[in-house]
Amino acid sequence: MATANMLMINPLAEAVPEQATEMPVEIALVKAVLEGDREGFGRLYDLYAPLVHGVLLARVPRMEVDDLVQDIFLHAFKKLHTLRDGSAFGPWIAMIARNRAVDYYRRSRETVEITDEMRGTDKQESKAAEILELIRGLPEAYRETLVLRLVEGMTGPEIAERTGLTAASVRVNLHRGMKLLREKLTLTEGV
Amino acid sequence: MNDDYLWNKSGEPDPQIQQLEEILGTLRYQPKPLKLPEELSTSRSRRNHFPWLAIAATVVMALLAGGLWLQTRNYDASIPAVAIAQPADPIIGPPLSASTDAPKRIKPRVTNYDRREALAAKQQLMFALRLASEKLNSAYRRTQDKRSSHENTLPN
Repeated sequence: MATANMLMINPLAEAVPEQATEMPVEIALVKAVLEGDREGFGRLYDLYAPLVHGVLLARVPRMEVDDLVQDIFLHAFKKLHTLRDGSAFGPWIAMIARNRAVDYYRRSRETVEITDEMRGTDKQESKAAEILELIRGLPEAYRETLVLRLVEGMTGPEIAERTGLTAASVRVNLHRGMKLLREKLTLTEGV
Repeated sequence: MNDDYLWNKSGEPDPQIQQLEEILGTLRYQPKPLKLPEELSTSRSRRNHFPWLAIAATVVMALLAGGLWLQTRNYDASIPAVAIAQPADPIIGPPLSASTDAPKRIKPRVTNYDRREALAAKQQLMFALRLASEKLNSAYRRTQDKRSSHENTLPN
């Protein structure tokens, strides 16, 4: 009885059914794809391409990101049968993207100087490329969450849900990363 | 600093974050269709069954080797001593004496040829068992490696 009362007043007890209703989307899609529904994978792609794009943008040159997003989803399609829990599709594909970014640098060691063309044609795109470089200079834990928040426009809870990180970790990473970015921006403007 | 806006875009907007969102938004993901080649497929049947096949093959080989060994042993034991009438090699052991009238217990006679044959069969069997054991170990290790690499790839 005491346990039942605790469950009733525990806010987590209310959060569980809400999560349970959200989770089956990925599970159902993964199951459908494994049974031969290729369009189901298209829906997974639509849902998770921004996440993969953000993960890559925090790590590899911008001009390489689009091709890598396609490669990663092709790889994920081929290896989908190895995913045991469909609800972990987001964390799984984010991990593939991080590993692919590491592979990218392992294969191409030479660095490329950033030209105006690569920065962007208009002024705002050029400014965006500069700020992105500043974000890339932050510790790894902060840069991915900041890119997902500021570039891809996800909220903290969305980042936590899709990457599999805890909400507390994402919140801390956002807060500390933003603080460091503000410091860097102030320094840059000062120069 | 308004942390709520940074966290879930609620509360009073932070002007600097809004400005960053506006500038960095130009780099946002632009939807593009995914090009899945027609020949590409994913299915549970694509799972790698090699480790299990290797283990099954090794077990079958071991059983066959064991059966062969047992059969050979039983066959050797069932050969009567009198069947070896004219051995090619000199006989080792006491020769049979024809002069004695009393029935004597006939001892099994083993020729050098038999001994060599038996030794070769034993060596073959031991080799087959060693090979089977090595294959079994190798398949087990491969399965363990695949499992551990798969678990490393999976997120927490």
